Amino acid sequence: MTLGRGLLATALALSLSGVASAQTATPPAVVRPDQLAFKALYKELVEINTTLSVGSCTKAAEAMGARLTAAGFPAADVQVVVHPDHPREGSLVAVLHGTDAKAGAMLLLAHIDVVEANPADWTRDPFTLVEENGYFFARGASDDKAQAAIWVDSLVRLKQAGFKPRRDIKLALTCGEESEAYNGIEDLVTNHRPLVDAAFALNEGADGLLDENDKPVVLEVQGGEKVYQDFTLTITNPGGHSSRPVHDNAINRLSAALVKIGGYDFPVAFNDATRGYFTRMIPLVAADKGAAMKALVANPDDAAAQAIVTSDPMWNSMLRTTCVATMVSAGHAPNALPQRATANVNCRILPGVPVEAVRQQLMAVAADDGIAFTLAHEPSKASPPPPLTPFIMGPIEAEAGKLWPGVPVVTILLTGATDGIHTNGAGIPTYGVSGIFGSSDGDGIHGLNERVRVKALYEGRDFLFALIKDYAMAKGQPKG
Amino acid sequence: MRVWRKMVAGAALAAALPGLAGAQQAAPRPDQLAFRALYKELVETNTTLSVGSCTKAAEAMAARLKAAGFPDSDLHLIVDPAHPREGNLVAVLPGTDPKAKAVLMLAHIDVVEANRADWTRDPFTLIEEDGWFYARGASDDKAQASIWVDTLIRFKQEGFRPRRTVKMALTCGEESDGALNGAELLATKYRDLIDAGFALNEGAGGLLGDDGKPVSLSIQSGEKVYQDFTLSSTNPGGHSSRPVHDNAITHLAGALVRIGDYDFPVQLNDTTRAYFTAMAPLVDAETGAAMRALVADPTDAAAAAVISRNPTWNSMLRTTCVATQASAGHAPNALPQRAEANVNCRIFPGVPVAEVQAKLIALAADPKVTVTPDATTLLTPPPPPLSDAIMKPIRAQADKLWPGVPIVPFQSTGATDGKYLNSYGIPTYGLTGIFADNGNSGVHGLNERVRVKSLYDARDFLYGLIKTYASAK
Repeated sequence: MTLGRGLLATALALSLSGVASAQTATPPAVVRPDQLAFKALYKELVEINTTLSVGSCTKAAEAMGARLTAAGFPAADVQVVVHPDHPREGSLVAVLHGTDAKAGAMLLLAHIDVVEANPADWTRDPFTLVEENGYFFARGASDDKAQAAIWVDSLVRLKQAGFKPRRDIKLALTCGEESEAYNGIEDLVTNHRPLVDAAFALNEGADGLLDENDKPVVLEVQGGEKVYQDFTLTITNPGGHSSRPVHDNAINRLSAALVKIGGYDFPVAFNDATRGYFTRMIPLVAADKGAAMKALVANPDDAAAQAIVTSDPMWNSMLRTTCVATMVSAGHAPNALPQRATANVNCRILPGVPVEAVRQQLMAVAADDGIAFTLAHEPSKASPPPPLTPFIMGPIEAEAGKLWPGVPVVTILLTGATDGIHTNGAGIPTYGVSGIFGSSDGDGIHGLNERVRVKALYEGRDFLFALIKDYAMAKGQPKG
Repeated sequence: MRVWRKMVAGAALAAALPGLAGAQQAAPRPDQLAFRALYKELVETNTTLSVGSCTKAAEAMAARLKAAGFPDSDLHLIVDPAHPREGNLVAVLPGTDPKAKAVLMLAHIDVVEANRADWTRDPFTLIEEDGWFYARGASDDKAQASIWVDTLIRFKQEGFRPRRTVKMALTCGEESDGALNGAELLATKYRDLIDAGFALNEGAGGLLGDDGKPVSLSIQSGEKVYQDFTLSSTNPGGHSSRPVHDNAITHLAGALVRIGDYDFPVQLNDTTRAYFTAMAPLVDAETGAAMRALVADPTDAAAAAVISRNPTWNSMLRTTCVATQASAGHAPNALPQRAEANVNCRIFPGVPVAEVQAKLIALAADPKVTVTPDATTLLTPPPPPLSDAIMKPIRAQADKLWPGVPIVPFQSTGATDGKYLNSYGIPTYGLTGIFADNGNSGVHGLNERVRVKSLYDARDFLYGLIKTYASAK
C-alpha cells in the first residue's frame, strides 16, 4: 500500500503487553504439495522486478496471465492491459465466469508494482526470494505480491478443481500503486470499466496482528480509508526593506493562521468501520480506555471520552478528519520583508466528507481573508466508506474462526491510502483483508529487508481461498 | 553605500517635499578643473567586483598623492593576497601634535555592477551633461573618495601643517557580500594605521527643495546594527496521517506571531532627539507636535504612536525585529522534523545583541523554539556624540555655503562601513555635503548622477571642514 501501514498495528501494540520477543518465526511443520506449487508461483512473481525505475509490471502481468491460461482459462478471459504511454506498467485482468448472470461480480484486487529497493542496502538480494528462519525475504514479499500471488493461485486452483462460482470472480493485478505518475486501477475503472466492474472488491489494506510471541491478536478488516488532500495556503505582501518593518507581514499572518489550524480539532465522527473497531477494542485495551471507547461509541460528543481516546494519535486519526501543516516556505532574503509566504496543510479526510467542506472549515478557522486556500492537487473522487454488512463480515468471521479460533475480527478505517480509493470512488465497495499476520513493526514494508512469515503467508492463502469460495457462492449483495 | 541608506534621508523628508529640475553652473575654477581630472580618473577606473579592480584605482590615487609630494612611507597600499583586485589605500598627513588624535577620511572606491547595454551612456566614462556628472560611482562613493584625495593633495601643495594627523582610507568591498570588506580589514588588522579620534564617511548629504534651494543638511551619527537570528524548532516528525498537536511548524508559528505583535520600547538618543527636533517644523502639525512631545517626554506613548505610523520613523525610535524568511518540512505527507525562520533585527545603538536575543526568547515563550544569533555579530555601541567639537565646525562651514540651512542629525536604519569603525571604537559620522533632491539619483541603478554644482560645493565644504578639524584643539 502507499502509505502508513503498520500504523494501526502500532496503536494496538501500545496497549498490548508482550512477554518476550521472538526474533525467529515458527516454521511450518509440513509443507503441503499445493503450498509448494503456490511457492513457485509466488517466487516467479516476486523475482520479476516491478520497480518503476527499471522493472516491468507488464512482464509480471504476462507471467501470471500465462499461468492462468496454462490452468485452462480461455485466452478471451485473460487480458494484459497496457497503456500506450506506459509500456512497462501493464495490468492483468481475468475472469472466472459465474453461473448466475444476475449476481454481481466480485473483484480480487492487488498491485504488482513494488517500492524501489537498492541491493547494496539489503542484506539479501531484494529480487531473489529467500526463505530463512521461517520468513520469506524479498521486495514485495508482503506488499503486495503476497496477496497478488494468492489471487492468481486461487483462480488456478478453482479452475483446476472445476469450481463453478455463482458470481463472476474477476482479477485485477495492477501497476502504479506505489508511485505518483500512472495508476493502473484508476485507468481500468475509468477506461476499461467492464473488465473490472464488480459488486464489491477485496484488496490489501488490513492484516492480522501478532504479539511479541507471534500469537495472533486480532484480524483486521479495512472498511474505507481517509482521503488524502493537500491544501496550499498563500499570502502575498508588497514587502520592502527589513530595516523599516510594518506589522502587516506575510509570515506573521500565515503563522497566525497556522497556529489556529494547529489548535483546531475537527469533530469526532464514526462510520461502520470505526464503530466496529472501537466496539471490538473495548475489551482488548486498558480499562479506562475501554470505558472511554464505550462512552464515545454511545455519544461521539462525550468530551471526556474524546480526550482519552484521541490521546492516541492513531485512534485520533480514525475518529476525525485531521489537517496538519507539513511544509512552509516564505521570504526571499534575510534583509527583505517577505513578499510571499506559503504553507502546505495536509489533510486526511474522513470518508464521505467533501474536500470543499474541509477547505471552507480551514478558511473559517484561519479567519484571514488575505490568505488563499487552494487545492495542491486534483482531489480524489468522493469515496464513501463501504458498508460492513453481514454479507461481508459473516464469511470473514466464519473462516477466521476456523483458522484462528477466538481471535477477534476488528474493522478499521485506514488513515493511509491504498488503491481502494479508486475503486471505492468508482462505486465498487472495496474491503481490505489479507488474513496475513505480521508484527507491529511493519516487517520492512517500503524499507529494507521486507519479509513475511512463511506460516502466515500460507495461512493467509488458505483463509482467502476459502473466503473467495464463500463469497462466490453467497446470495445477496454487500449492501444487504 | 548599501541599498537601504537612502530611505531615511529620502523617505522621511520626502513626505513634505517634492523634486526639482536641473541647476545652472558658473564657469569652473582652475582648482575645480584639477579636481575634475582626478574625479574623472577615479570614476573611469572600473571597480566592480566582477571585472574591475579597486587595486588599480587605489594605485592611481596613490600615484597622484605621491606626485603631490607624499613620501612612500605615508602611502599604504593594502591588498589581501586572496583578493588581489580588492585593494585599499591608506594615506597619512602627519600632524604636528603627536598627542592630538587623528581625523580619518573614509570612503569606499568599489561600485555596484553596471551593464553598459542598460545605460544611456557608458557607465565608466565620466559625462558632463546639463549640469550633471553621469557615471557609475559618480555619487556612490567616488564623489567623496575624490574629494578626500583632492583635499590631501591641496593640503600638501599648500604646505599645510595640520595640528592633528589627517588620515585617509579608501576601501573596497562595501557594495558586495562576496567581497572582502576593506573597512573591516583595516579596523581589525591595521588598526594603528587608521586609528583616529573620529572619522567622516558617506551616509548623509543635503536635501534640495523643488526650487533647487537647499532645505537641510544631514549628518548621520550612529546606525542601527544589523543582526539576523535563526528561530528553530525540531520534532521527531512522523507520518502526517496521524498528526499530533506537538508540531514543529505550529511551535515556530506561535513564536513568530508573538514576536510579530511585539514592539520594542521607544528609545531616544542625542542623534534622534536632534533629528526629531529639527524635523518638527518641517512636517505636518500633528506629527510635528508629536515629535516635540516625544523629545520632551520619551514615555509619551500617544506621541510615539503618531510618529510610528511612518515605518522609517518607527525604525528610528526602537529596535525592530521582523520575520523575513521561513522554511519548514521536507514532504507534504510527513510531519515536519524541522521548522526554521530568519528574524532580522535592526538593533538600536547601544543595546547589546544578547539583550535582544533574550527578549526574543522571552517572546517566543516556548522551550521548543531556539533563538540563535548568526555568526557575524557586531558590537552595538551608542552613536558617536554630536558634540560641539564636531558640530560647530560643520555649522560654520555650512553657513559659508548654505547660510541658514538647518543641520539635521539622523541615525540610519541601514548600514554603511561606519558600522565597522563604530564597532571597533572609532566614532564615525556620515557627512558628504552633497545636495540632491528626492528624485532618482540612480545610485545602485541606471544612469547614476550627481549635480556638478553640488559636487563642487561639497568639495569646498569638506575641504574647509577637514582643515578646521585638523587645526582644532
